[in-house]
Amino acid sequence: MKKTLRFIRSMKCGMILLVLVMLLSLAGSLIPQQEASMRYVRAYGAQTAQFLIAVGATDIFHTWYFYALEILLCLNLVLCSIVRFPRTLKANGEWTDRARRAEGEHPLTGEKREKLCGFLTVRHYRLEQAADGAVYSKNAAGFYGSFLTHLSILLVLLFGSLVLMTPDIQDLTVLPGSALTLADGTTVTCDQFHITDETGRLDYASVLTVRSADGQREKQQEIRVNQPLRFGEYKIYQQTYGTAGRVRITNHTNGAEEVMFLTDPCFLSIDGRNGVYYQALYPGFLRDAEGNYTLITSTSVSYQDPVYAIQTVSDGMTTSVLAFPEDELRLGDISFTFLSPTEYPGLRIKHVSSWLFGGLYFSFGLMVAALYLCFFAAPVYVRVREDSYTILSPKNQQGLILDLRALIGEKETDP
Amino acid sequence: MNVLFFAALVGYFAASVFQFAGAAMKKEKPRIAARVLLLVSFGLHAAYMTWRGIAAGRVPLANQFEFASGFAWATAALGFVLYGRIRQEWVMTAAMPAAFLVLSYAAFQPREIKDILPALRSTWFVLHIGSAAFSYAAFAIAGGLGVSYLIQLKKGKNEADVRMKQMDYLGYRLVCLGFLLLTVVIFSGAIWAEQAWSSWWSWDPKETWALITWIFYAIYLHQRLRLKWQGKRMAWLAIIAVILVVFTFAGVNLLLPGLHSYAR
Repeated sequence: MKKTLRFIRSMKCGMILLVLVMLLSLAGSLIPQQEASMRYVRAYGAQTAQFLIAVGATDIFHTWYFYALEILLCLNLVLCSIVRFPRTLKANGEWTDRARRAEGEHPLTGEKREKLCGFLTVRHYRLEQAADGAVYSKNAAGFYGSFLTHLSILLVLLFGSLVLMTPDIQDLTVLPGSALTLADGTTVTCDQFHITDETGRLDYASVLTVRSADGQREKQQEIRVNQPLRFGEYKIYQQTYGTAGRVRITNHTNGAEEVMFLTDPCFLSIDGRNGVYYQALYPGFLRDAEGNYTLITSTSVSYQDPVYAIQTVSDGMTTSVLAFPEDELRLGDISFTFLSPTEYPGLRIKHVSSWLFGGLYFSFGLMVAALYLCFFAAPVYVRVREDSYTILSPKNQQGLILDLRALIGEKETDP
Repeated sequence: MNVLFFAALVGYFAASVFQFAGAAMKKEKPRIAARVLLLVSFGLHAAYMTWRGIAAGRVPLANQFEFASGFAWATAALGFVLYGRIRQEWVMTAAMPAAFLVLSYAAFQPREIKDILPALRSTWFVLHIGSAAFSYAAFAIAGGLGVSYLIQLKKGKNEADVRMKQMDYLGYRLVCLGFLLLTVVIFSGAIWAEQAWSSWWSWDPKETWALITWIFYAIYLHQRLRLKWQGKRMAWLAIIAVILVVFTFAGVNLLLPGLHSYAR
């Protein structure tokens, strides 16, 4: 058991795990992930596809062995952090002691000594008087660099996994002027949506009003890509957009009128027998010399000449018709006036704990700071005696060595 | 204004040729010419980037051409800073060709100025892409130093030689800088992705390759710091790592479609 634990906490184990994560990531980036089985069959042939699916290579980042690697990596980081922590705590004291005891390596005369001490003071070295001279030290925090780096990787893995795994995500569409009610009663109303800004530049933006279930809290905000709305533990993103047809239905018997949005095929009728069956909305059309229409089916173009494909159903007779904005169809006492289409937003509504995000972002910041400490704030001690000095550091101090040599005019040799 | 870009490209090429000639002949004059040429080209390149930024009304790092141009500029800038600090010719010998090669790649990319997509209009844009340019620049010079190191070794230089040790050490320090910046790139990208796509990590090919590169450099650093690997082995690792960087930077955009496809 001890042997196993020793291996798991070792750097060798950490390196093996990193190499395995790297290789699996490589495979995961080269093999398309989470596609339909047929795509693998077409791309690799039936046998290879079957093998890839069986070993989970088609969804490699969600396989048990990928999770197992992550868990082992966390374990490796926890154990090596536990082992490293007492050493890290003691390191500064040990190096200070070592510096106090250190004999001078490089000779120093009175004037050069002054120069050296002045230089170290200007560079913000901490001064501690010691027998026969002084100990100048800097960057004691650098001792924590490596420990904090490993700890922050662990935190990133933990918080990152929780943030990815715990949220409740819903992709919903909301038509301008209408509202959505979420599971806890919170309502999201889309006041406006536009796909271009006032200068004509693409800008997918929705003006939303979110109200808590008890009506006590309300927030209105324009959301766009990169600017989600935060409301309690909800985060609402501008995710996609679509184009919906609109039809005004007028009942001539009672004068009632209603505008309906058309997003999916539907049958618009009062009696359930006669009415309009809405099939699709097309962005444009081409008309040849004989007056035949060819509909443009690509939805990536703007809806410049929208056409509604509909069927009228009257007394059991079905007729296919193309309707253009402002066209009116009258079936008995009901008339259908097709209007210009409108864009509507697709929202992603995420419910996730804010403290998890806080933890993740804290881990990011901690890791950057820890790496800085690790690489650019190496602890350094300069033991200055009456007639000599020496530099001590757990890391290479070639830069400082050269600086000091240049300062006191020492002949350059191999550092 | 494209003339500025091509003048810079030719300048980087000429600077590299003079630098190599100076190194091969062990003469100072071609090296001085190389430095002057590099300085002029660097100025022209900066002027081009500034013009492009003004014309586009944004930081010119939004597509493959602009990023490659920024990457080359960052490589030259970092080369100057390092040369200014340590005054060693071999720094320029590694940095100049790297800047030239990256800018040559940019020359093959479409150069028209386009409005950026809404997804790129973010406060994280400059930090994420700017740190990527400098991170890759640091890795590119480290890789260049790795190549120089191996060439010197082949020419009979001893690993214990002061210059070889300095080259090895500087390569390592550049990897440290690049690694820190790559971490910033990944994290700023994660925060940005969470705002734009609602998920901080999606295993998009660009993200995955950034992670692969990060892990490879993490292994490099562990080998260096814990196992005390130095010299030839580290030079090889730095060169292999640069291949990963190049794939992350260009290969992913060309071969692996994903959420970062607008970076083409």
